[in-house]
Amino acid sequence: MLETQQLPSLRIYWMAWGLLLALTMGMLVTSFISIPTAVLVGLLLVGMMVKASVICAYFMHLRFEQRSLVIMVVLSIVLTLIVLFWLISYDAKRALELSGM
Amino acid sequence: MAEAQSIKNPWGGGVSPFAVSWQKLMMWTFIVSDALLFGSMLSVYGFARLAQSAWPNQAEVFHLSLIGFMTFVLITSSATMATAVSASHQGKRSRVIGALVLTIVGGCTFLGLQVYEWATFIGEGARLHSNPWGAPAFSASFFAITGFHGTHVLTGVIILVITAIRTATGRVSEQGVELAGLYWHFVDLVWVFIFTLFYLI
Repeated sequence: MLETQQLPSLRIYWMAWGLLLALTMGMLVTSFISIPTAVLVGLLLVGMMVKASVICAYFMHLRFEQRSLVIMVVLSIVLTLIVLFWLISYDAKRALELSGM
Repeated sequence: MAEAQSIKNPWGGGVSPFAVSWQKLMMWTFIVSDALLFGSMLSVYGFARLAQSAWPNQAEVFHLSLIGFMTFVLITSSATMATAVSASHQGKRSRVIGALVLTIVGGCTFLGLQVYEWATFIGEGARLHSNPWGAPAFSASFFAITGFHGTHVLTGVIILVITAIRTATGRVSEQGVELAGLYWHFVDLVWVFIFTLFYLI
């Protein structure tokens, strides 16, 4: 049973909304200016991770949940993706070789 | 919030792990599995793209301003959803329904715009197996990824409609609204990744 004292006021949701919007517009604009691709990709990925963190922390309430729940959610996804990438990378490299690149 | 306590009787039920109800824990478990679904689809897209020598310029193929607006709609619907959850914790039923309706409108707007994008794209010749801009993987990954995401938005809208109706008839708990909210925020979260990785980069 959740206690209402734990919950933030509505203000925090609209601040998160504003931040997400600002980040989205920033990322859109950035994709159109001429900067080196590596810099662009880096900036966009950082922006993406910040947006994801804001949604998870404030909309999905993870900032106010038990640390163990947060760790369970984040670690499951991250670890599984790492293992997925690592195991697939051998086949991926081979497939690239075979396709002649 | 429940604190970790030493349990005198280990068979007495104990304390809920993670200090959440089993319903919420299962929703999080489902979200993790769904996140891995989209994670693997985006990984495949990433690999297919790296394996191509040429990839169409998304800014030339899509209406990025429209996609940006779709992102705005989904983010706003997430904010209204959070409002609904907050209102349900405070017991303000009419406000819950109002906020849920706004969220549903946002979701339907997103779906309508996505349908428009698909129709335009298909009209210009894009198919699952080929497209006029080059790499077949381009349209294939577009349809697969946005198709899966759009289906999640649709089921989210359905869940929200049911939640709104049940709230109106007084048969939903505050946790029910919160769990629907978790699902909806997850849908928005996935869009953040799709928007960045497929449309921008």
